[in-house]
Amino acid sequence: MKIATFSMVISMSFLIGCSLSPQEWAHQRTIDLGSTTPIGLTVVDQHFWVADGDNNQLVHLDKEGKILFKEEGFERPMHITTDGKSIFIPEYGKDQVTIFQGKDKVKMLLTDSLDAPAGIHYNDGFFAIADFYNHRILYGKEDQWIRFGQEGKENGEFYYPTDVHIFDNQIYVADAYNNRIQMFDVEGNFLLTFGAEEKIKAATGIFVSNTQVFITDFENNRVLIYSHEGLLEQIIDRDLNSPTDVFLHEEILIVANYKGKNLMFYEQE
Amino acid sequence: MKHLIIIIVAIFFTTADTNQLFAQSSKDQIEVQVDGLGCPFCAYGLEKKFKEFKGIKDVEIEMETGVFTFTYPSDKAITIDQIEKKVDDAGYTAVTTMIERSSGEVEKNEQQKTEVTEDSEVIEENIFVAGNCGMCEARIVKSAMGTEGVLSAEWDKETQNLKISFDSAQTDVSTISENIALVGHDTQLTKSDSTVYGALPGCCQYERK
Repeated sequence: MKIATFSMVISMSFLIGCSLSPQEWAHQRTIDLGSTTPIGLTVVDQHFWVADGDNNQLVHLDKEGKILFKEEGFERPMHITTDGKSIFIPEYGKDQVTIFQGKDKVKMLLTDSLDAPAGIHYNDGFFAIADFYNHRILYGKEDQWIRFGQEGKENGEFYYPTDVHIFDNQIYVADAYNNRIQMFDVEGNFLLTFGAEEKIKAATGIFVSNTQVFITDFENNRVLIYSHEGLLEQIIDRDLNSPTDVFLHEEILIVANYKGKNLMFYEQE
Repeated sequence: MKHLIIIIVAIFFTTADTNQLFAQSSKDQIEVQVDGLGCPFCAYGLEKKFKEFKGIKDVEIEMETGVFTFTYPSDKAITIDQIEKKVDDAGYTAVTTMIERSSGEVEKNEQQKTEVTEDSEVIEENIFVAGNCGMCEARIVKSAMGTEGVLSAEWDKETQNLKISFDSAQTDVSTISENIALVGHDTQLTKSDSTVYGALPGCCQYERK
């Protein structure tokens, strides 16, 4: 009886353990981008859009990775986003966000000035913008914006934020040279920070899924994957070369490698 | 009348050419080979900062090669020291700097080279120097090599070890270490001033012990 109870406990623990432990992400394929140096990435209708910072262009690829066209004339485009129709491009060298649709480029109207915007994210009518040299985040829409953060190392402060992601009424920030992730509510109140224990060197790109937070660790050539509570679940480091952005699309994780000049695709096993 | 028109046209084109030449020749062309353009966010920042300097035009950075070019009004007579100071202020390290004056004259910086003599005693040492990235590496190596008596310097980003060889008759580890600390990097012997450390670019701000 004692043995049977013990076996049952062990079996239960194993089953619970299996159901709780997340599946690992495994590499599936790589798309070589040629001379394109990807900084930011988004997906619209199965097509990839890549912000090519070094070459000041936006690159449009089909789902197989074939380059369809390149739109030139941007000044250091960074971490981009989409509302499904337009691409929103923070132009680091121009201190503005440009809305690109079809062939039209329009400056996004903001109530505040930017100094080297490095990342933007759209969710359900609202935008968050990482304002790199101002060490702050802008959040809002149309003429209703809030701004939060200042230069510093304390919780709620930033040291060159490079990317943002809005998820479930929370704003996640890649706080690049504080080497961490910070989480805020939509009023700009600090909630949580994580990533310090992993000794990140330049947290550059961020994506938040229903269950996980993905962050690129630029200098260490890694992607770190956390739970929403900040618990480390997986480290991807094989063959990455200066990753700058990460994106989850239909259960496929895509990593943009700046120096590797490619996109790497992962699926959960 | 025909001759008059030809003369006027000739004068016009001569003047236009002269003006054009004058406009072209009123700028100095500057080329700086910058080391450690590893991080695009900082590199684009360098470009952005330079664009903000009054008079600087045609700023371009070739990320692959680290070649950074711009033009500057000739009458300002910018010097190599001034350029390298601006590059330093932006957190970068100029390896070579060249100015092509509007007159055609070319100026280049010259890196100091230590001569090994019969009296030299070459010593190899390894010292810990804190840093993060390629930009740190360029700054550390340049600072070490800028110390009179240093023959070679190699810094490893992973181990943060600086391997140096130097003429012990001309310098010592302590002097080299102090020079490196002056540009913002702590060593096992010398701690950098916190203001200098604080002025390093974000990606170079290593974790201090």
